Amino acid sequence: MHTEASVDSAQPLPGDFAIWIFIFAELVVFGVLFGAYAFARSTHVELFNASQLTLNRAYGFANTLILVTSSYFVARATQSIKAGRGTACGNWLAAALGLGGMFLVLKLVEFHQDFAQGISLSTNLFYMFYLALTFFHFMHVVMGMAILAVVTYKAYAGRYSAANHTGVETGGSYWHMVDLVWIILFALVYVIH
Amino acid sequence: MKYQSQKVAKPYFIAALALFVGQIVFGLIAGLQYLHGTFLFPELPFDVTRMSHTNLLIVWLLMTFMGAAYFIVPEEAQTELYSPRLALVTFWVFLIAAALTIVAYLFVDYAHLAAITGNAILPTMGRGYLEQPLPTKIGIVLVALSLLFNVTMTLIKGRKTSINLILVGSLWGLALLFLPAFYFPHDTVKASYAWWWVVHGWVEGDWELILGALLGFILIKMTGVDREIVEKWLYIIVAMTLISGLIGIGHHYYYTGAPSYWIWLGSIFSALEPIPFILLIAFSFKMLLQRRREHPNKAAMLWALGTPIMAFLGAGLWGFMITLAPAQYYMHGTNFTAAHGHLAFFGAYAMISLAIISYAMPLLRGRTANSAAAQRWEIAGFWIMVLSMLGIALALTGAGIVTVILQRAADDPMPFMQVQDKARVFFWVREFAGVGFFIGLLVYLRSFFIAGEYEYASEMKQALAA
Amino acid sequence: MQQVFTKAMARNIFLGGAVFFLAIYLALSYDTWQRIPERDHADKMTSAVLRGKYLLDSNDCIGCHTVNGEGAYFAPELANVYKRRGPVFIKAWIEAQPTGVPGRRQMPNFHFTQNQLDDLVAYLQWLSNIDTNNWPPNIQG
Repeated sequence: MHTEASVDSAQPLPGDFAIWIFIFAELVVFGVLFGAYAFARSTHVELFNASQLTLNRAYGFANTLILVTSSYFVARATQSIKAGRGTACGNWLAAALGLGGMFLVLKLVEFHQDFAQGISLSTNLFYMFYLALTFFHFMHVVMGMAILAVVTYKAYAGRYSAANHTGVETGGSYWHMVDLVWIILFALVYVIH
Repeated sequence: MKYQSQKVAKPYFIAALALFVGQIVFGLIAGLQYLHGTFLFPELPFDVTRMSHTNLLIVWLLMTFMGAAYFIVPEEAQTELYSPRLALVTFWVFLIAAALTIVAYLFVDYAHLAAITGNAILPTMGRGYLEQPLPTKIGIVLVALSLLFNVTMTLIKGRKTSINLILVGSLWGLALLFLPAFYFPHDTVKASYAWWWVVHGWVEGDWELILGALLGFILIKMTGVDREIVEKWLYIIVAMTLISGLIGIGHHYYYTGAPSYWIWLGSIFSALEPIPFILLIAFSFKMLLQRRREHPNKAAMLWALGTPIMAFLGAGLWGFMITLAPAQYYMHGTNFTAAHGHLAFFGAYAMISLAIISYAMPLLRGRTANSAAAQRWEIAGFWIMVLSMLGIALALTGAGIVTVILQRAADDPMPFMQVQDKARVFFWVREFAGVGFFIGLLVYLRSFFIAGEYEYASEMKQALAA
Repeated sequence: MQQVFTKAMARNIFLGGAVFFLAIYLALSYDTWQRIPERDHADKMTSAVLRGKYLLDSNDCIGCHTVNGEGAYFAPELANVYKRRGPVFIKAWIEAQPTGVPGRRQMPNFHFTQNQLDDLVAYLQWLSNIDTNNWPPNIQG
């Protein structure tokens, strides 16, 4: 394999190193976004608190459970392929994909309700952040599902094995990142007063 | 040089340097008009000087990019260029069209030029960098199509390296991003929003990909580092460029009538725009340290390593200075932007152009590297130009500070022209630095007229004696 | 075990990231497009305003001036000049050019008719009412 002569420690990062550069970049982007949210909130605390109460926390909480469960499924998929069970790996991934789909549906329902109330990016600062952050994350779920779909297809097609499962770990790492960001987002935007 | 058809790059590079000289001459005139407003008036109003200066810049950079494409694509594809004849015809069409356009600027009143070139039917004129009359704009599209056809056909029949894919892909992007130049809506806010598709799309997006491809090619050739390593880092760097730069376009939308959310989104993403430039520096120097050969063309190596550093200063540092919305509130539309524009255009695009010319021209003239004497002139030119451009950027920054203090952030703000008077000393410094730059350019050009090639034996003897 | 880092994955990230952020930019641009007409009072773009805009463009005014901070930094901001100077002064000023004051920056005379001057002023008035998030910071532009 073409390797950068950098990492040869006992515990390398799972998956392709390139995805970790990308994950790091994504976390920086989200980190700056969250930081900006916190800064904006500190200057408009009352506006943020009042607007936050209008959000549907039940949807948010359900979506958190959905993504955490899907992350667990992805972890099981990685375990399966390490044991050489390609079909089981594919099944776990397909289940995770199904949950990802549920997340999208639920979030779309929520967006629809927001738009029906006339909420837009220009309504106020809180809704600007709420919509920008959740839409940005929504797109990440779409992207994560696209990656998982490719990995699932390859798992069923028998392209992975106990010896060669970098692809599963790579896609899984990205999906865990999407999950992690949602947990922070949910806490920050929906919950913390 | 491995393929005969690469020779077609030579006229492109020579014409580029000639146009570069023209650009600097107009720059010096413009700088003088800042200080002495009646200089060459009414024969040469400031706006004509300025559009000649900026359009020559774009044309000579495009000339180099095209020359570089004709030089690199065959070598990477390991096959002759699809049609060297077409490339040569395209060269003359482009050069003549560019020259005619500049002549028209100089000798035809702009409104009259608009009237006789059909601007009333499809208005495109009167926007910064896109001042060209309609026939010139159509000509640019045709030239681009010819280039794309030629290099794409070459790529299809040859080896598809990542360098070539990024280079040809970004040339397609360059052409596509020019098309909004034909879209000039009546609504001024929409017009400004779409104008940035061309300008930001080029200089903070697509051209950075071209820069990456050219730099990657030069580094592979000069350091002998494994292509796989260079190419995968290149992908990571250009990925970062687009991740930060696509939404980063929002830093042009704060105060031009677009919705307020761009203030946040633009600030957040454009704050990340220096990252690809930092990666580019790290990448270049890592390749230098891992080099497997000592290339005799020291001058080209200097340009190649200077490019990421100066690009970081101009695009990264000076760009960051004005990119966050609260800072830009005071700096927008001042000479801060001019300082950033000068240092970024030179540091990123002029320098990568001079780097590829420095690497390729000796090969096109039948030698691996120029003689040590010629390289000494070229390196002297490098330092004089780089330091002079830093002087220009610092002087313009000074002028920007004067505007911010006296006009933008003052309790009792002064009118524009009074503030300009207070900034005179900085405009003088800028003009002197500009003269310095011109001298540096002449020193650089002198290196082309020193005959002979690099002599390993005599250089080795000298090194041992010393 | 060595760390895996493939060129194919780096390329996929580049392509995926580009498409991803382009999609987000297009979505935001769609929203912006819906908002602009209310922010710049597009309903008040009369034919005089459009004629005035054409005059401003076809004479390359932004080759010296700025409009909402975009253009050249050789001459004053035009987007708020209507509020700074008023219509009478603007017309008189344009007609009086060039000043010919030795050494002072010169503006050409464009030989506008009275109707054209009215159109220009109409456009400058329209420009001065765009919601630019309170930019410029003060009337001097």
